[in-house]
Amino acid sequence: MKKAPFYILLIWVAAGSGSCKKWLNLKPENGIVGDEFWNTKEQVDAAVTGIYTSLQLNTELFFIWGEARADMVTPAVRASQDELDMVNLNMLPNNSFVNWRSFYQSINYCNTVIQMAPGVLQKDNTFTREHLNRAVGEAQAIRALLYFYLVRSFGEVPLKLDATLSDKNIQNLPKSSSAEVLEQIVSDLRNAEAGLPMTYGAIDQDKGRVTRYAVNAILADVYLWMDRYEDAIRECDKIITSNKFSLVSGFNFFTSIFYLGNSPESIFELQFDLQRLNPFYTMHHPDNRRWSASQLLPENVYGIDMVSPVPQADARGDERSFRSTDFTIWKYIGADDNGDNFRERDQSFAHWIFYRYADILLLKAEAMNEMNQPLEASRIVKTIRNRANAIDFKIMDSLNKEPMSVYILEERQRELAFEGKRWYDVLRNAKRNDYRRRQLLLDLAARSMPADRKQAAFNRLLDNNSHYFPVYFYELQTNKLLEQNPFYK
Amino acid sequence: MKTKLTALLITILAALCAGSCKKHDLRLTTTDDVNISSYLAKYPDSFSLWSGILQRTEISNFLDMYGSYTVFAPTNSGVQAWLNANNIVDVGSADVDLLKDIVKFHILEDTLTTPSFKDGKLPVPTMHGQFIITGATNEGGVSRYRINRQALVTASNIRLGNGYVHVINQVLEPARQTVAQQLAANPDYSIFVEALKETGFYRVLDSIYSDSSRRWKTVLAETNQALADSGIHSYAALKAKYSNTHPADPSDSLNLYIAYHIIPGIQFLGDIINAPSYLTMQPQEVISTKLINNEVVINEDEFNGVVEKGVLLLRNKSDNAATNGVWHTAHAHFAAKLRKPTAVYWDLATFPEIMKQPAYYGKQGFTFNKSSQEDRPIRDIDWHYNGENYVSYIYNTTHSFTNYACKTDALQIPLGAPSNNNRAQWVEFSTPPIIKGRYKVWICYRNRNSVTINVRVNGELMQRPINVGQGYPGGNDTELESLGWKKYTLGGSFAGRLAGTVELRTTERHKLRFEAVSGSNREIIFDMVHFIPVDQVQYLPRFAPDGSMVWQ
Repeated sequence: MKKAPFYILLIWVAAGSGSCKKWLNLKPENGIVGDEFWNTKEQVDAAVTGIYTSLQLNTELFFIWGEARADMVTPAVRASQDELDMVNLNMLPNNSFVNWRSFYQSINYCNTVIQMAPGVLQKDNTFTREHLNRAVGEAQAIRALLYFYLVRSFGEVPLKLDATLSDKNIQNLPKSSSAEVLEQIVSDLRNAEAGLPMTYGAIDQDKGRVTRYAVNAILADVYLWMDRYEDAIRECDKIITSNKFSLVSGFNFFTSIFYLGNSPESIFELQFDLQRLNPFYTMHHPDNRRWSASQLLPENVYGIDMVSPVPQADARGDERSFRSTDFTIWKYIGADDNGDNFRERDQSFAHWIFYRYADILLLKAEAMNEMNQPLEASRIVKTIRNRANAIDFKIMDSLNKEPMSVYILEERQRELAFEGKRWYDVLRNAKRNDYRRRQLLLDLAARSMPADRKQAAFNRLLDNNSHYFPVYFYELQTNKLLEQNPFYK
Repeated sequence: MKTKLTALLITILAALCAGSCKKHDLRLTTTDDVNISSYLAKYPDSFSLWSGILQRTEISNFLDMYGSYTVFAPTNSGVQAWLNANNIVDVGSADVDLLKDIVKFHILEDTLTTPSFKDGKLPVPTMHGQFIITGATNEGGVSRYRINRQALVTASNIRLGNGYVHVINQVLEPARQTVAQQLAANPDYSIFVEALKETGFYRVLDSIYSDSSRRWKTVLAETNQALADSGIHSYAALKAKYSNTHPADPSDSLNLYIAYHIIPGIQFLGDIINAPSYLTMQPQEVISTKLINNEVVINEDEFNGVVEKGVLLLRNKSDNAATNGVWHTAHAHFAAKLRKPTAVYWDLATFPEIMKQPAYYGKQGFTFNKSSQEDRPIRDIDWHYNGENYVSYIYNTTHSFTNYACKTDALQIPLGAPSNNNRAQWVEFSTPPIIKGRYKVWICYRNRNSVTINVRVNGELMQRPINVGQGYPGGNDTELESLGWKKYTLGGSFAGRLAGTVELRTTERHKLRFEAVSGSNREIIFDMVHFIPVDQVQYLPRFAPDGSMVWQ
C-alpha cells in the first residue's frame, strides 16, 4: 500500500511522456522554417509570387499618394481626417497614410528573393540559371518600382538592400539622398532587364508579372523623373518597336482596359480576382465612398459639347473614368460604359494598372517635347486624342515647347485619370529646371483646395520640402538615425 | 523520516517564496508625458525667459495641470527682443498686468494642431479675448506658418500631457487700438473716418463691449483714393451726394451708407468667403461675398441674367485686427443699391447639376439619389432622407407629365406626410437672388395626385396649404386670380396656385420649403415657382413648352 504514491508517479510520468512525444522538436508544426525553405525551384517561385501578393496590400496607397493632393479627386462623405489633411497639404507626422511600413515589407520580400534564390542553384539541379535570373529580375524590378514610389513621395528614404531574415538582421538606416536612391533604381532595373523574359506564355502572366517591357516602362518613367530625356525615349522605343502593344479602340476603352483588364494596351498591372479583391469598392461606391471625382472634370478637363445634336463625348470622360451624375470614380467600380451598373461588392477585382501603352506614348511625347521637338510630340498626342474622340475645346500649339508641355500634361490628366499618376506628373513638370514651372503646383492647389485654405497653401507650396510627405512618427521613434523632413518639424 | 520530509518541504516552500518576492518597480503614474510648464522649464536654453514670465504671472501653475491648451511659446531671443522694444530691463521688473495680458494672448483653451491653421482666424479666441489669425509665408525657399502676422512657427505640434506647444520666434502682441482708432490713425481713410464721426458710428467702432455678441465688428473701409475714383474728393462731396437730412439720423442716406460698410461679428478674409452673404448694419441690406480667381469680391451678383460687377477687397490692406474687430479695404466706392422688386419666374428644373449634363438636360430624365442625410447630390436642393431618397429630373415632349411644362421638363419629388415613413416629408430649395419687397408666391405644378403641402419661405409658413392633386376650377383669369389660381401654361393639367404673400426683407437667395402634411405619393411634379411683386400682374406671363413667355 505504501507503494501507491510510487505507482501514481509512474503513471503520471508515463502519461506525461506520452503526450509530449516531440518534446525536443522546436520547429513549428504548421509552417516551414528558413532552413527547410530555399531548397527547390518551386519554393523560389512561391517566394516571387508572394512579392506580388504583398503589393496588393499597397494598392490603396498607390491611389492615395498619386491622387489625394492633386485635382482629379475630392474627398467624399466618409473620408477620414487624415485624408482631408492630405488633401489640404496639411499633414502631421502621425497621418496614417504616410506610413511606409507595407512598402518596406514588400521590399524585404524582394530582398529575400535576391539574397536567397542564388543558393538554390546548388541544391536543386532542375533550377536553371535562366530561371534564377528571372526570379531575381522580378524581385529587382519590383523593388525598384517601390523605391520609385517612395522617392517620389518622400524625397529621401532609407535604402535597404539586404534581407531582414530574423531579428538579428534588424539595423537602423539613415536616409539616402534622392539621387542615390534613383541611381540604385536604375541599376536594379538594368540588371533586371537582362534576366527577364519578353513573355511568360500566358496573357495574364504577361500583364500580371514583370516582363522586360514592364522594366522598360518603369525605366522610361524613372529617366523622365531624372530629366534624362534621351534615355527615356530609348526605353519607350523598346516598347513601341516591339509591336506587342497597341491602343484599344475608343469604343472599347473602358470595357477592355478597366472592366476586363489585361488588355492589349496593358504593360504591367496588379491582378485581382475573386479570391483577392481590390480595396476600391468601399473607397469609391457612392453609398459609402471616401473619394469622388472632382466637379471640375466635365467642364474643365474633358470638355462638354453643347453644340452638336448628339453631343460628342470623350471616350475617356463621362461614364468611363467617372460618372458625372454623381461624380463617382467609375474606372474601378463601374460594370458598364454607360454609367448604369456597378460591379458587385464580391466582384470588385478591377486591376491596378501600373503602366499601359498610352502612358508610354505620352511619356515619350513629354521627353521629345523637352528635347525641343514639340511637333513630333504633338503627333503622338494626336494619336491618343483620336483614339478617344477627344473634344477640341483648347487649341494645341504644336510649334512651341511651353504650350505643348502644358497640353501634354493635360492629356495625361485626361488619359490616366485616377490611375495614381496626377500628382507625380504635375510635380515632375513643376520641378524640372530648378522649379521653373512651380506655378503648376499653385494652380493645382487653386483648383483642389477649399477656399479658406488657399492662401496658406500657396505659401507652403513655395517650400520644396512641402512636396514630399513627412516620415511617419513611429519610424522616427524606432529608428533614431532617421531625420524628419524639415518642413514638418 | 517525517521530520526530514517536513524540513524538505519547508525549504522548497521558502525557496519558492524567495523567488517570487522579487522587488517590483511599481509605477504610480499613468503616463510619462510632461505638461506644458514642465516642458518649457526643461529647455531653459530656449524658454527660460518665457518660463520666467509664466512664473511671474502665476500662469505656469495652471499650465501644469490637467486641461487642454494650445500655447504659442516664444523663444528667448523673441522675448528679449520684445523686452528691449518695450524698455523692460528684465522680467522681474516688468509690470505684471502687462505680462499677464501678453501671456494670455499666447494661450488658447483648446488643442489645435497645424491642420486647423487656415487663412483666417483660429476657431477659438485666446484667453486674452482677441482672436489670432494664421497663415503661411515663405522666406528663402522655406515655408513656415505665420501667427498673427507677427511671428513664425519654428517648431510645431509638440504634444504634451495637457495640450500642444507651438514654438514661435517673436512675442505676439494683441491689438491695442480699436477699429476706429486704427482707421483714424491712417490719413488714407480720412474722408471715411470723417463720415464715421459725423454719423455717430465712430463711437460704435471705438467702444469695446464686454458682451461678445456685441463686441466684434467687421468694417469694409474705403480709401480716399477709392472715393476719388468715383469723383468724391472730400467729405463735403460725400455728404452732398448722400445726406438729405442730418448724417446722425439713422434714416439719413449717409448714415445708411456707412452702416452698409459695417458687418456685425468678426470676419477675416479667410472667414468671410465661407458664407454667401452677410447682413450689414444697414437694416435689411446684405453684402454678398465670392472668391473669384482667389480674390475676395463683394456684391458680384446676377439678377435676371445680368451679372453686376463686384468690388474687390484688397488683400494687402485687409485683415487688420483691432481690439474690437477687423477692418478690410475695398478697392472701390460702393453702397447698397436701391432696387425695385422684380418678378422671378423660377424654373425648378434648371440647376447646374443637371445643366452640366448634355446627355440628359433637355433630352431625357435623370434621377438624383441621396445616400445619407448629409449627402447633397444637388447643391441647392435638399430633401428629407427617408425611404425613397430621390429627386428626378423628368423630361418628355409628349408625356402628359411634362408636355406643357416650361421647357417640357419638371422635378418629380416623392413626398409623404409624417404618418408615412417611406417618403421624404420635406424638400428645401435655395431660390435665385430675389430683391427685397412684398411678393405673391405661386407654386406651379402638374396636378395629379392628392397630397397637401405647406409652403415655407425662410421658415415662415405661407397662408395657404396646397393640394397638388387639384387643378384650377372654371372661370376667366381674373376670377381665377381672386380665388388664388392661375393658368400658367398653354394647356395640359398644370396649375399655378397662390401659396400666399411674403415680405422678403433682404436682397439675396432665400429658402423655400415644401412640407407634406397629408397624403403620400411618388408622382408629385413641380415645374415652377413664381415670386411676383404684389403690385404687378399675377396671371401673366404664361409659359410655352419651349420656355418662352406668352403675354396673353
